[in-house]
Amino acid sequence: MIVGSNSSSDAARLVTPTMLVLWLVLATVPLWITRIGLYPYLGIEILIWSLYALAFNLVLGRAGLPSFGHGAYFGIGAYSFGLCQLDIVANLWICLAAAAVVAGLAGVLVAMFISHRRGIYYAFMTIAFGQIFWTLAIKSHRITGGEDGLLKIKRLPADFGLVSFDLTDNVAFYYFVLAVFAVGVAALWRLVHSPYGRVVAAIRQSEVRAAHLGYNVWLYKASVFALSAAVSGFAGGLFAMAQLAAFPDVMSLHQSGYVVMMTLVGGGLVSFWGPVIGVFLFLTARDVIGALTNAWMLYFGLLFIAIVLFRPEGIAGALSAAMQRHSLNALRRRGTSAMRLLVGGGR
Amino acid sequence: MFDLLPHLLNGLTLGLLFALIALGFMLIVGLMEQINLAHGSLFALGAYVAMQLTGPRPPLPADLAKAWLALPLGWRYAATLVIAPVIVSLVGMLIELCMRRTYGKDPLYGLLLTFGAAMVIEELIRLVWGTRDYVLQVPSAINGGFLFGDLIWSTYRFYAAGIAAGIIGLLWLLIEKTSFGATVKAGAHDSEIVRALGINLSRLRLLVFVFGTMLAAVAGIIVAPIWGIRPHMGVDAVIPAFLVIVLGGVGSFWGAVVAGLLVGLCVGLAGAYASEWSLLSMYILLVAVVTFRARGLWGKKSVLEA
Repeated sequence: MIVGSNSSSDAARLVTPTMLVLWLVLATVPLWITRIGLYPYLGIEILIWSLYALAFNLVLGRAGLPSFGHGAYFGIGAYSFGLCQLDIVANLWICLAAAAVVAGLAGVLVAMFISHRRGIYYAFMTIAFGQIFWTLAIKSHRITGGEDGLLKIKRLPADFGLVSFDLTDNVAFYYFVLAVFAVGVAALWRLVHSPYGRVVAAIRQSEVRAAHLGYNVWLYKASVFALSAAVSGFAGGLFAMAQLAAFPDVMSLHQSGYVVMMTLVGGGLVSFWGPVIGVFLFLTARDVIGALTNAWMLYFGLLFIAIVLFRPEGIAGALSAAMQRHSLNALRRRGTSAMRLLVGGGR
Repeated sequence: MFDLLPHLLNGLTLGLLFALIALGFMLIVGLMEQINLAHGSLFALGAYVAMQLTGPRPPLPADLAKAWLALPLGWRYAATLVIAPVIVSLVGMLIELCMRRTYGKDPLYGLLLTFGAAMVIEELIRLVWGTRDYVLQVPSAINGGFLFGDLIWSTYRFYAAGIAAGIIGLLWLLIEKTSFGATVKAGAHDSEIVRALGINLSRLRLLVFVFGTMLAAVAGIIVAPIWGIRPHMGVDAVIPAFLVIVLGGVGSFWGAVVAGLLVGLCVGLAGAYASEWSLLSMYILLVAVVTFRARGLWGKKSVLEA
């Protein structure tokens, strides 16, 4: 069912052929993106949001936990990155680590409250915590800058000891984000296909069954949530660098809803790559349709309704269904010619 | 102690309004086990339609409009209180017809469908009415204020709280004391048997959804003069409605009413002492309750927690 990994051996690999192709294609983006009327910054946004949506899909798609306040951890990561840079130390690696750690800790805190809840109660607890963090971000003027946001965040140079890269240019920053994205995708792929990931998938199918098999369901639910929050926070740190600021609106309920939409439209429930497809479609549509009409959310909303009604498994699901049908047809064709040969030979 | 009384009273009236906002949501969650995230947008739509109908330029042919405007505001307001929900219920009907396809599947799909519908309705509101704020005219009889114990009280708040209490009572009678309520509840409990008894369940569900939509619209009209009419009011309403239902527990009528009152008291009191943080208080209340009680205050088992 997983698009791009039809052979099960892919699950055991660190880097799959699909990933290699994707990275190569993405590496050429700055060469042609301005020619088609778009700009490298869009590429940066798509990569960062893809990482965020992939992390989110650990919770929604893999564990089947309805988390509707995930923007909080993305935002916490952005603020942590900014505050670390402005108040503690202006080192890229330390600030990015701070973004992931602080968001992860917030995730642990929330997970302790919600992991013994299910369904609608779980969903609304995540919303409540999302709203709490969002309100805190807006109202703590002195720390976060309130609704104006935390400004003056710089793109710190990527210092590797021997060489140091300046990331202020959008193309340079794009390649940095791409490298981070590649590592992140490989890590998430390993996580999803590790024994740990299998248990999480089993919990999605049936919490009761997993518990009877002797797994500590609470611990798995809590840890996958915290992990997802940490990676979301890491992406948030990158986003703060991209925007040169951290704003509270990524933490709002609307924005948390968008990441759910992107993940589902892409097909996060059936495919590892679903969230990436969804983010690509959402952000490109925002820029392309948004340039033509102000009411682009109207059209995206209608598309979303249509997908929920007719293709609930999303675009990735539709693609893999089409591919399967195609290979089935090919098989059938081959089958008939083989039959003809047999029948012909018999005569 | 006497200082606290106005805040308590304020909180109680606010609580009745929260309960009123949650009623339509509760009806659909409780009787159909579906989460209607478009509730807030339907609430907003009710307010907008009412504003258009009572305003100086009603969407009617010229002669009719003249006759309509000749009526006193009180009559127009009372008529609007009935007409606007009926108009909004057509939108609700459309949503239910789409939502049918998701019945029997993971309730997540119904939730997402209505989230999409909410987005579309909000965008349409922006397209038709723009982003500016509007005011809903109300008859002078319920407008203004009165003096009581050295304090000025808003008449409209008490009128709104009274209406809310009345609708809560009527809805309780409908659900608990009529055969319609009994059939609908049985349909949620065991749809197969209800169908076998020869009851047209899909029509019944459509009716419930339409009724829930109308309640949302009425709540929108009642709350509009207090909150103001703007595109964002839908989101401002659906979150407290959802919160009240989760706090009270899915499937519990009085749970929702008590939760509404609690939320109102909480927000009212927090608003008196730390107005910056008043909205935060309701989330903290929810977290405090749901951390210890798996199904809110008096929730029943439902498919929504599978």
